[in-house]
Amino acid sequence: MNDLSVTTSFPTIAGASADIAAKKLSPVELTTHLLARIKAVDPTINSFLLVTGERAMADAKAAETRMMQGTRIGPLDGIPIAHKDIYNTAGIRTTAHSRQLEQNVPKADATTVAKLTAAGTVMLGKLATHEFAFGGPSFDLPWPPARNPWDPRHFTSGSSSGTGAAVAAGLILGGTGSDTGGSIRGPAALCGIAGIKPTYGRVSRSGILPLAYTLDHSGPMAWTVEDCALMLQVMAGYDPADPAGSKKPVPDFSAALGKGVKGLKVGVIRHFHEIDNPASAATLKGITDATELFRSEGAEVTDVTLSPMQDYFACGFLIMIQEAYALHEKWMQTSFTQYGELLRDRMGLAAFLTGADYIQAIRKRRELCLEMAAAMVGVDILLTASQPAEAGLIDEVPKWNFDKPNFTMPFNLTGYPAISICSGYGLGGLPVSIQLIAKPFEEVTLFGVADAYEKATDWRAHRPKLPMG
Amino acid sequence: MQTKISLVDFGALARRAGLTLTEEQIATFHGAFGHIEAMLENIRLPTRGREAEPALTFDPEGFQ
Repeated sequence: MNDLSVTTSFPTIAGASADIAAKKLSPVELTTHLLARIKAVDPTINSFLLVTGERAMADAKAAETRMMQGTRIGPLDGIPIAHKDIYNTAGIRTTAHSRQLEQNVPKADATTVAKLTAAGTVMLGKLATHEFAFGGPSFDLPWPPARNPWDPRHFTSGSSSGTGAAVAAGLILGGTGSDTGGSIRGPAALCGIAGIKPTYGRVSRSGILPLAYTLDHSGPMAWTVEDCALMLQVMAGYDPADPAGSKKPVPDFSAALGKGVKGLKVGVIRHFHEIDNPASAATLKGITDATELFRSEGAEVTDVTLSPMQDYFACGFLIMIQEAYALHEKWMQTSFTQYGELLRDRMGLAAFLTGADYIQAIRKRRELCLEMAAAMVGVDILLTASQPAEAGLIDEVPKWNFDKPNFTMPFNLTGYPAISICSGYGLGGLPVSIQLIAKPFEEVTLFGVADAYEKATDWRAHRPKLPMG
Repeated sequence: MQTKISLVDFGALARRAGLTLTEEQIATFHGAFGHIEAMLENIRLPTRGREAEPALTFDPEGFQ
């Protein structure tokens, strides 16, 4: 149980960056503080699989030298972050939280890791994930699952579970996540932070262990919308090593921050959270409050109707397990029990499907993409839930959840950018959230609307109460 | 939700896929597959024409 105590001991990326630029904050002191905090807090929440203390201090010292010389690289220079353990890190173990890759040490960084390193970030380590970004929370793997810092008896959602927990607990200022059916937005929602799945193709997937090629997205997770914009600015951009990479120019993702929502049109997908998967009272209140806020700030709010959410979920789930199974096929045949039970059982269902099943799913996908595009004509932003409710108990998460379609898969299927932000706190002090969605490559608008909501509420004043403040 | 496939046939499908599973593991997949069949029904539209293309299309220029 949390007392929602207000604290100022957790800097944001934007705040720390301004202080470093003004030479009021030392990257070395900040990194030292966070390493001590990780040591004290992480045994409770298991967000790290590996802490790279020596590397972090070397990064921090280099950033501090640049700060003192007036040669800072940019806003992320000296900012401590960590990477989901499916992001390849040169010379540093990358396991996908799986026994299958327990000794895997990549030779090269993922493109996004290289970009964030070149921007001067301080790498604190590698973060817990659901096994291969799909099977979790698992208790039969070499490492325990991450736990929710708002109440460690509870689930973080996944699969970017470690990133969600570490950001919320104030162990890192931001981190990387990946999202195939909701793996950035789910943990962002249940851990009460911000997490954006950018447009498919906006951020390189090269060097990130894949789950499902046509649904995988890479993106940032942080305490605030502004911090996500700062991280995405570095992560985004064309990479010839990613066959799905977009050559669209990267805009200034912070351009619409502080500009409000006046004149925008917001479409509420009411049937998603009221009928298709009825959300908790606290989640529904967050959505209602958001629509009232947007209306009062000058946006036009209307309802949008799509196919039932189950149609999107079924299509996405079938594509996901078949693409995942294809790339795990050999290990499923030769070392089935090396996987955790949740991953092998969820993914293994694809062994009983046919090629025609996959083609029918991607034919359906085209129809759903066209439907969503038509629904967004004249609409700038869609609004629904990210998760149906507050986090449940971690040891009560079911292996399968077929009857309750998730709120996030529709936008993996269509590739639209979507962000989850905190919209309050429900029973027991656990966070609830809303999800905002924009048209492809309209992340600037998405950040602007999310930032307007975030700044009009006081949810960012609350942090989990953990052993060390 | 029950699958239309018998448990024995399910074992044969697992072997065809190259999986070496215990009876218990086969039963686990068999017990869940009815839900997958419901999803397969969902994505198959009886009125969908032959010309309805998939979302993913081949682009030879992408390899230039």
